[in-house]
Amino acid sequence: MNNQLMSFWQLVWTELRAIVADKAIAVTLFGGVLFYSVLYPLPYLHQVPTDQQIVVVDLDHSSLSRKLIRQADASPKISVIGQVGSISEAKVWIETGRAHGLLVIPYAFRRDLLLGKGVTLSYGGDASYFLIYSAVVEGLVTVGMDAGKQVQLLGLLAKGEAPEQADLSLNSVKINSVPAFNPSLGYTPYVVPGLFLLILHQTLLIGTGILGAGQWRNKGYWQQLSPLKLICGRICAFMLIYTVFTSFYVGFCFYWYQVSIQASLGLVALFLLPFLLATSAAGIALSCLFVRRDLPTQVLLLASMPIMFVSGFVWPLTLIPEPLIWISQVIPAVPAIMGMLELNQMGASWTSIMPKWLQLWGMFAVFFVLAVYGVSRRLKAKTSLVP
Amino acid sequence: MTNIVASIRRELHALWRSPWQLALVSYIPILSILCLWWLFSAGLPRQLPVAIVDHDNSQLSRMLSRKLAANPVISPQSFVDLPSAVTAMKQGEVYGLIVFPYNLKRDLVTGHSPTIDIRYNSQFLLVGKLLSSQIQLTLGTGLLEVAEMKLLLQGVPKPLVAVHLSPVTSQTTALFNRNNNYVGFLVPPVLVALWQLLAMLIFSNSLSRELTSTGSLIAGDGIWLRVWAKIAVFTPILLMHGGFILALLYQYLALPAAGSLALLVLAQTVMLFAVWLLVLLIFFIMRDSARMVSFGTAMFAPAFAFMGITFPVHEMPVVAQWWRLIMPSSHYIDSHVSIISYGSSWQTIAVQLSSYWGFLFIIPVLIIVSRRVELEPMAQMPLKGEPGVKG
Repeated sequence: MNNQLMSFWQLVWTELRAIVADKAIAVTLFGGVLFYSVLYPLPYLHQVPTDQQIVVVDLDHSSLSRKLIRQADASPKISVIGQVGSISEAKVWIETGRAHGLLVIPYAFRRDLLLGKGVTLSYGGDASYFLIYSAVVEGLVTVGMDAGKQVQLLGLLAKGEAPEQADLSLNSVKINSVPAFNPSLGYTPYVVPGLFLLILHQTLLIGTGILGAGQWRNKGYWQQLSPLKLICGRICAFMLIYTVFTSFYVGFCFYWYQVSIQASLGLVALFLLPFLLATSAAGIALSCLFVRRDLPTQVLLLASMPIMFVSGFVWPLTLIPEPLIWISQVIPAVPAIMGMLELNQMGASWTSIMPKWLQLWGMFAVFFVLAVYGVSRRLKAKTSLVP
Repeated sequence: MTNIVASIRRELHALWRSPWQLALVSYIPILSILCLWWLFSAGLPRQLPVAIVDHDNSQLSRMLSRKLAANPVISPQSFVDLPSAVTAMKQGEVYGLIVFPYNLKRDLVTGHSPTIDIRYNSQFLLVGKLLSSQIQLTLGTGLLEVAEMKLLLQGVPKPLVAVHLSPVTSQTTALFNRNNNYVGFLVPPVLVALWQLLAMLIFSNSLSRELTSTGSLIAGDGIWLRVWAKIAVFTPILLMHGGFILALLYQYLALPAAGSLALLVLAQTVMLFAVWLLVLLIFFIMRDSARMVSFGTAMFAPAFAFMGITFPVHEMPVVAQWWRLIMPSSHYIDSHVSIISYGSSWQTIAVQLSSYWGFLFIIPVLIIVSRRVELEPMAQMPLKGEPGVKG
């Protein structure tokens, strides 16, 4: 096929056919994107840990201690699975994984309270698992505080205070603590928005990488074109595919996994446009570094975890060392994930995420130039080899 | 015997001549391990910015602000009006927002019950939950002082004030990870997931070197001899990486470890053999280097999510719990936690290692599918190690 004869849309069509015909790319793009949309959120589907098993060491055996245990069991976060006689026995239960926390009710708990002496309840949770630990501790602290309040209320009433007055003196200030942006404190709304953009980013880089790496040392339509036209056609082909994938992820999957959504469709599309463009250009530029088809997947696989953690949706950006943040700014996924979270999940205004949007356009420009440079070098090397 | 020695020598030679494989066994693991550790090296979340909007500007609200500033987790940022604080919150500049209402002190003194509003960013779940509990704790303690003053004014004797305020006090202990250190909590599973990926990549690269472009075996020794040679070469190398992780975490950083590290090395060895079995299965079924890597990636990349450290195993859906059992890293991390946290003895670990029994079924399958792999005809035998080794 002649260069003049091959129109731009013919090129895009040829590119699309090359992508689908290549098994490794097709598996990564179509299989990977679909498979991961199910597999990654799978462990988190139950959202919030409830009913964590705890074991009680009741050294008091009074009516009050039994009431406390019943109340602990009634807490949604905790389920009391048994009572043991000593702390060392409770330790065995925790070490064998039967229980994840313990509650110790001290000897003479009820008597001391009635006598007006303070008592101390002890809670412990297995901090090898933070989510379990926080559920156990939150549940037990609430139960303990309620028990204390009830004892106080009884005392005040016994002294002859009016019930309303007593209630007011116990709760003099109301603390109204409400989670913002992810009201259910669920795990999929926390993980999915960032993770899914990262999956799109990584699969797009791998796809362009494998396609390029497989072509440079072989003959085909790509040699009869100018580098500029080839890159534009390739970006266009991948954009067509990824518009569908992104709509599926950001549209359907966000809805399916109950991610909270704040921005309008137009703004989300406008923000993701430079992200996809910059990522495709980066992928093509990167593909010039490879000639083996199995390498792009390996390199990007190893890079996935660092990119995920440095993008700041798991571990807060304020705690990540500055140099790592600077280096990470050359990865399109990093500003894109943060910008999308602010725009779509936290409801920031367009003006406040504008710098990230412009950064993505800047990246697109830089990677595009790099891609033109890399591709023309690769194509030239080939033409000089084969006269 | 000489056969296997020759095979091992050939394996080492091939490793030496492949720059990518050499990178995978040398500087890539070290760099990635150090990089991931550095990322989390802060360990304890500190000085997280929280917006404070003080509409009251009384002695009480300023005292509460000072209490908040004294909490190591919170770094209070003053905002004059609510809208600017909300904007900062939406941009992720602050992770929480506290509003002291107008007339907070007056309402408190005159027996009304004012409300302090707190919003915390639960989109960043880790930070949000921590801040929520710390802010409430700090405000609670601060308000307790006010209540104490009130009781003293009412004529309650000083020694009784504390009991009056909180007859039931609580003592909370974080078992096994006393200071809630994120390095001890998150870095081991992250590094184990990385290590598993490295093992998968190194082994499948080495196996795909034995394939011709058509998917048959390059002529030479029997396939099993070559597989044994690879296991003999890469098991010690990967164990060195595993040992580096353990040495970094539990020797250099001196994170608390209750059990013996030798047992952990044993657990790592068993995990490696499970990874080898899985990769061999993928190899015999796929017989193509790019597809092997793609498939291995698809399988092993989400291993971290399934380990059950960040999100507890018994809260996962049943399907996720099954998928979890396919990952060797999930079996390993159970032993890891019980050795590091609970200081389990070798009897417990032996019982835990038996959870790998399902992997034994791969062996007969391997023997059956390996028969299907054809040896390349001798006539076309290329120069040794030529195809696929180029780096």
